[in-house]
Amino acid sequence: MALFGRRNVLLAMLLVAAAAPSFLNAYYVFVANTILIYVLLAIGLNILVGNTGQLAFANAAMFGIGAYGTGLLQVHFGWPFWLAFPSGAVIATAVGLAISLPALRLSGLYLALSTLAFAQFTQWVFLNWEAVTFGAGGFKTPTISFAPLPISKPMGLYYLSLILVIVLFVLAQNLVRSRIGRAFVAVRDSEIAAQSLGVDLLRYKALAFGISGFYAGIAGGLYSAMLNFVSPEGYDLFQMVIQKAMIVVGGLGSIAGSVLGASALVSILELLRKVKGFQEIVFGAILVGFILFMPGGIIGFLKAKVRGWEEPLHRARPGKRSTSAAATSESSEVRP
Amino acid sequence: MILLTYLLLSGLTTGSLYALIALGIVVVNKATGVINFAHGELFMFSGFVAWMLHVQMGVPYLPSLLVAVAFGFVLGALTNLIAFRPLKNANIVSLVLATIGIAFMLRGAARVIWGGKGDYLPFPPITSPEPVMIGEIMVIPQQLAVLAGAIVIMAAFAAFFRLTRAGKMMQATADNAKAATLVGIRIDRIYMLSFGTGAAIAAAAAVLMAPLTLLYPDMGFAFFIKGFAAAVLGGLTSLPGAVLGGISIGIIEALAGGYIHSSFIEVSAFIVIMFVLVVRPTGLLGFNGLRRV
Amino acid sequence: MTTALLSVRGVSVSFGGVKVLDGIDLDVKPGEIRGLIGPNGAGKTTMLNVISGIHAPHQGDVLLDGVSIVGRKPSNIARLGLGRTFQTSQLFRGMTVLENLMTGLHHRTTAGLIATSLNLRRYREEEEAAEEAARQALEFIGMSAFADRPGSALSFGQQRVIEIARTLIGDPKVVLLDEPAVGLSLNRLTEFDALLRRIRDEKGVTLILIEHVIRLVMDVCDQVTVLSSGRRIAEGTPDTVRNNPEVIEAYLGKELRARHSAP
Repeated sequence: MALFGRRNVLLAMLLVAAAAPSFLNAYYVFVANTILIYVLLAIGLNILVGNTGQLAFANAAMFGIGAYGTGLLQVHFGWPFWLAFPSGAVIATAVGLAISLPALRLSGLYLALSTLAFAQFTQWVFLNWEAVTFGAGGFKTPTISFAPLPISKPMGLYYLSLILVIVLFVLAQNLVRSRIGRAFVAVRDSEIAAQSLGVDLLRYKALAFGISGFYAGIAGGLYSAMLNFVSPEGYDLFQMVIQKAMIVVGGLGSIAGSVLGASALVSILELLRKVKGFQEIVFGAILVGFILFMPGGIIGFLKAKVRGWEEPLHRARPGKRSTSAAATSESSEVRP
Repeated sequence: MILLTYLLLSGLTTGSLYALIALGIVVVNKATGVINFAHGELFMFSGFVAWMLHVQMGVPYLPSLLVAVAFGFVLGALTNLIAFRPLKNANIVSLVLATIGIAFMLRGAARVIWGGKGDYLPFPPITSPEPVMIGEIMVIPQQLAVLAGAIVIMAAFAAFFRLTRAGKMMQATADNAKAATLVGIRIDRIYMLSFGTGAAIAAAAAVLMAPLTLLYPDMGFAFFIKGFAAAVLGGLTSLPGAVLGGISIGIIEALAGGYIHSSFIEVSAFIVIMFVLVVRPTGLLGFNGLRRV
Repeated sequence: MTTALLSVRGVSVSFGGVKVLDGIDLDVKPGEIRGLIGPNGAGKTTMLNVISGIHAPHQGDVLLDGVSIVGRKPSNIARLGLGRTFQTSQLFRGMTVLENLMTGLHHRTTAGLIATSLNLRRYREEEEAAEEAARQALEFIGMSAFADRPGSALSFGQQRVIEIARTLIGDPKVVLLDEPAVGLSLNRLTEFDALLRRIRDEKGVTLILIEHVIRLVMDVCDQVTVLSSGRRIAEGTPDTVRNNPEVIEAYLGKELRARHSAP
C-alpha cells in the first residue's frame, strides 16, 4: 500500500483528531470541532455539486435549518438534545428533498440563482420570524450533558462529532463507489445517456439533494450544540462561499478531497480571524486561484503526483484484475 | 389613496435603482450569455472610488463621476480577463465560482481600504437636496435623477444594440460565438467590451444612487440580488425588460412593505426570483434563456 | 407474419408550428436490422427521440413488445428494454471505461441506499457480478486493456464502441443507434459491419440505425425506411429502396432523378 496514499494520510489525520483534545487547549478543541463540522458540510455538498453536478447554493441554508431545528425543538418544546438533534437533521433533509423538485427543471446558472434566492429567503425567515426564531439576536440552547459518561460537554461533543464524521465518511465513501455513486456521475456527465441506461433523473437528483441536506442538518445540530447558541449569522452567503471554496480546493467529486479542503480552509479562516477584510480577500483569491490553476483541487494534484490517491467508482478487487488482464493479452483486438 | 400613490411613487424610485443594476447585468448577459456574480461588487467599488475622489480629495462632481465610470469599465474588463476568458469552455461551476471569488476580493479590499463592517459613508447628491412636491407627495430630486438615468441608459443601449455595428456584433456573439468568429468578429474583444460596459453602467448607477443609499462594503450583494431579480423578471436578455422588471420589483416591494409588513420589503425580491425561474424562466420579455445552461 | 417488436403508429411531432414528423408508421420485427435514412432535416433523430421518450409525440403511439410507451419517462422506457446511442459522444467522462460499462447495468441491479452505504453482502455480490459482466463485455469487443482508462482518454472511435457496449450490456431488446459509423474510415467500416451482425446474431438484439454512410446501410440492413421532410417516402430491402425514384429525388433533387431514370 502506498506510503503517502489516501488511506494512510486519512488514517493519520484520524489519529491526530482522536488524540487532539489531550494536547490542545479548550479554544483549539473548539476549532478542531469546527473543522469536523465543516468536513460533514463539505462531504454532503461535494456529493451534490461535485459528483452529481448540481450547482446548488442552498447548503448553508440547510446547515442553518439543522441548527435552528435542533435548537428550537429544545427551546420551544423542551425536547432533549438526543431527540431534537436527529429531528433537526430530518427537517433539513426534507427541505433538501423539497428543493430538488423545482431543481429538476433547472440546471446550471438557473439552478444556482434559484437556490441562492432560496438561501436568502431562508436567511430572511431566520431574521424576521421573531416569534419563532428569536430574530437577529438569536437564542441560547440548553447545554447538553453527556451524563452518565464522565466527560465534559466540549469533550463529549468533540468525540460525538468525530464519531459521526467517521461513520458518515464511510457511508459516503461506500455510496459513491456503488451503482448509486455511478448514477450520480452519470447524471452529471450526460443526462440523456444516463436516462437511456435507466437512471431516473428525478430520483437521483432528489437523492443527492437529500443527502446534502442530511449532512448539513447533522452539521447544523452539532454546531448549535457546540456554540450553545443559534443566530442567523452563521448561515449566510459568506458561509456558502466558504463551503464551495472547500470543495473546490479539496477537489470536486472526491470525499477525501472534502476532508482535506475543509481542514485547510477552516484553518486558514482561523488564522485570518482577526481581520474580516483580509479574510475575504484571501478567500476570494484562493477560490479564483484554484479554479484557474488547480481546477482538480488538492486531490487532483495528489492523484497526478502521488501514488495511492485513486478513487474508483467501483469496489477494487486487485487479485481478479490481473487474471483477466493476462487472459486478454492473447485475444485479438479490434482497434477502432 | 394617498398611501397607494405614495407607495407607487416610492416603488417607482427604488425600482429605477434596481433597473440600473439590472441593465448592467443584462448588457453582459446579452453579449456573453453569463451572469457576472461580481457585478454588485463592481458597482460598490466604483462607488467608493467616486467617494474617494469627490468627498475625500475634493475633485469636482462631474470628473469624479467620469473617472469612476472609467474605473468601473477597467474593473469589468479585468474581471473578463481573470474569470471569464480562461474559463470560457470550462463548466459553469467554475465560472460562477470564479466571479464570486473576485466579488469577495473586491469586497474585502473595499473593507480594508475604506471602512469596517459598520461604516456607512455619505455622498452628496448631484441635484439639490431640497425635496420637491409632486401633488401631495414629497420627492427628493435625486430619486428623479436616478429614474431619468435609468431611462437614458436603457434608451442609449437599446439604440446601441440595434443601430451600431458594435452592438450588432455583441448580439451576434451572444447568439452563436462560433459563427461570429467565422464572420470575422473578434469575440474576445467583444467580451471585453461587454464586461467593461456592464461594469461602467454599474459605476454610473453607484454614483447616482450613493446620495440616496450611502456607501458600505456589503451593499454590493444586496443590490446585486435585487437587480438580478429585476433582470430575471424582465427576461435576462431584454433591456426594456430590465427596466420593467426593476420598476416592478420596486413597486412589489413597496406594496408588500406598506400593506403586509415592513419586513416583507427584503424578501419580495427572493420570492420573485424563485417563482419566475421555476414557472417562467424566460421572464416577461426575454426569449431564450442563458446560453450556458 | 411475426408481430413487430417495435411499432410506431401514426406519430406526428411539431416544434413551434413546424411539422417535423407527419404520421409516421414503422414496424420492426425481432432480430431485424433496420436502417433509417433520409436527407438532413428529415426527422430521423426526432423519430429516435420520440421512441426513446425524450419527446412526446402530439399524435400517435409507440409500442415496444406490445406495450405502449408513449408518455413514459426515458429512464422508464430504457428499463423496458430499449437502448440507445447518440450522435455526439455521451460517454461518462468522469468514469473509467469499466465503470461506464457497469453503469450500463444500472437498471439490472437493485441495491438501494441502505444496501450500498452499509456495504451489505447482497450489494457486494451484485457489484462483483456487475464488474464481471463488464469485463466480459470488454472482451467481447476486444478492449479489455482499456478497462481502467478514464472516459476522457479515448479516441473518438473508441468512445463510440464503448458506448455501444454500454448500451448492450443491459440486455436490451431493441437498440437505437444514431449515426454510429460517423468518422469511421473505410477499413473500419467492414469491422463495424461485422460487429453489428455479431450483436444481432449472438445477442439477439434488434437494431434500428440512422446512418448517412450508405454503404453500411446497404450491406448490413435487412430493411430500410426512408424519411424525407417528416414523411416516410419508402420502405423495403436496401436494393428496392436504392432504386426508388422518390428516394433518389429526395437526396439528389429532381434533375438527377430524371437523369437517373432516363435510359
